[in-house]
Amino acid sequence: MPTIATVFRKVLVANRGEIALRVLRTCRELGIPTVAVYSEADRGALHARAADEAVLLGPAPPRESYLRIDRLIEVARETGAEAVHPGYGFLAENAGFAARCEEERLVFVGPPSKAMRAMGDKLSARRAMEKAKVPFVPGTVEPLADARAAAAAAERFGYPVALKAAAGGGGKGIRVVRDPSGLEGAFRTGSGEAAGAFGDGRLYLEKYLEAPRHVEVQILADAHGRCVALGERECTIQRRHQKLIEETPSPALDEATRRAMEETAVRAATAVGYVNAGTVEFLLQEGRFYFLEMNTRLQVEHPVTEFVTGLDLVAEQLRIAAGGKLPFPPGGVKRRGHAIEVRVNAEDPDAGFVPSTGVVRDLRLPSGPWVRVDSALFAGQEVTLHYDPILAKVIVWAPTRPEAIARMERALGELHVGGVRTGAPLALAVLRDPRFRAGDFDTHFLERFDPPRDPARDEIASVLAAVWRHRKRSRGAGRAEHADGLSPWTLLGRGDRQRRVRP
Amino acid sequence: MKYFVVAGESEREVVLEERDGGYLVTVGGRAFEVEASEGANPDDLVVRISGRVLSASFEGEEEEVRVGIDGESRPVRIEDERERAAHEAEAGASAGPRLVRSPMPGFVVAVLVAEGEAVRADQTLLILEAMKMQNEIRAPSAGRVERLHVRPGETVGSAAALATIAPLPP
Repeated sequence: MPTIATVFRKVLVANRGEIALRVLRTCRELGIPTVAVYSEADRGALHARAADEAVLLGPAPPRESYLRIDRLIEVARETGAEAVHPGYGFLAENAGFAARCEEERLVFVGPPSKAMRAMGDKLSARRAMEKAKVPFVPGTVEPLADARAAAAAAERFGYPVALKAAAGGGGKGIRVVRDPSGLEGAFRTGSGEAAGAFGDGRLYLEKYLEAPRHVEVQILADAHGRCVALGERECTIQRRHQKLIEETPSPALDEATRRAMEETAVRAATAVGYVNAGTVEFLLQEGRFYFLEMNTRLQVEHPVTEFVTGLDLVAEQLRIAAGGKLPFPPGGVKRRGHAIEVRVNAEDPDAGFVPSTGVVRDLRLPSGPWVRVDSALFAGQEVTLHYDPILAKVIVWAPTRPEAIARMERALGELHVGGVRTGAPLALAVLRDPRFRAGDFDTHFLERFDPPRDPARDEIASVLAAVWRHRKRSRGAGRAEHADGLSPWTLLGRGDRQRRVRP
Repeated sequence: MKYFVVAGESEREVVLEERDGGYLVTVGGRAFEVEASEGANPDDLVVRISGRVLSASFEGEEEEVRVGIDGESRPVRIEDERERAAHEAEAGASAGPRLVRSPMPGFVVAVLVAEGEAVRADQTLLILEAMKMQNEIRAPSAGRVERLHVRPGETVGSAAALATIAPLPP
């Protein structure tokens, strides 16, 4: 069997941030030359610096850079890239892009456009699951014509209901409606958000489960008819459908349910002719699980699966895309120990999780035994509103869940990202919560979570704030001794800072 | 030097004296000896306190600062005696029109009310998109829309004025 590097003489990574860097790293290890792409806002970005070649796509807004299919195809052709890895987000689940790559004889490192279409449209996915006898959440399998049709369907399935984008995924365009009065507004904003994000405003409705857990199964399928499950990931700690903490194995599954869920995931993938890496998401409530959707891409949280299986999922994706066979023994892939991931998102947990922007400074990333940090952060980097808020991921492994929690606590204690707010301090508080430690939580855990205050730490912070203020004041007094109050160096530095922070 | 510091739920009186190139800081009857030197930036310090050496990061201006230690981060409000007196003098202001500010930088997708329109508390005034999520900006109280400061299609910064809501006459 030829190596992957002889099949692909060059790979283009059509993404940015931590995931682009993560894919580029595997390519480098496999000896495959790479092409990175970047927007004007990402000129100095780490992913651009990590590739053998880097090409400018266009201005910062994704529509003018990372989402420009024609330009990406052109760059692939000009650089001689033979395969395109889409990462997650942007064009990763755009069947039009996958189809265009197929036409251009560029290998898309992901599923065939046909399978992506079948799963990407949540309604056609529900119909396919119905046929494959995969259980899914009760609700409509056709799009809702208008708010009135939504109201009728809501009456039929009973409130509360969830309005979801047919073209959606990753929580975008989802609205939970508890009573008829909220339906019209939810339909309007949900449809608007879906139209803005996907160019398709169609919504469907399903019964809203009150206290589910979110558990998903990683699968790998090759082009030779083999599909294996690589275990589950527990992703229940989320807010507004944006995940914060993921782990494997799930503390909520017994061995029989795990096996049933894995078999169902393989059946779901096989039903749409799936090839490459994918994730089948389930809601789990009272021991029963329901198909939610399939993510036809590499997931953000794939590193926890890598830690317990010892696999490099990007390498497996490339092997499959190169026409290789899955190399695993018939018994499947052994898993070992426990892994946890925390997402470091640019958001302010103290202000309702609003997105946070700024220039990164005083950056300290954790390390040490069994800690992995997937990050594209650097000091001086400007975090803008244009892109996904995921700045970095911290992943740890340990033999057992309690040890993994202790390790993650230790790692997050070492983390500091200055200049922007992140959700990491909140994740640290969750890790210390007794219910989290007991594995006893559902998808509402985070929205109801009120981190306990620690008066001793408040006191230390008060002392240090006084020291800081005092020093700042003395410094200011020293500077005022210059005739004009400011030295030329200060003025120069100040001008430079102002330029950097201006949007 | 005396400071009034709010961190968490309680306010503390913090007294700071310079001593031997460091600081003696007293709070709630307890004394802390603190040594400090500049870290990566003038605003980030390496501090020795209570037998520990730690990195502490400070972001803010004067009275509002965010203190980052041990992977945690907390907002702290700090004022000296002069500032305290000035704020107490201001605090007599009556309830006039309320300014609705943008909680985040973003893009105004839609404005759902018009100037002069009466609004309920919690009614959606406009929709702001940031990082691909649409956020409903709601009225803080019932009233009348006195002024709209933004139009659809505009990009706004954090804390930008969005709308002014005047109280309804009693």
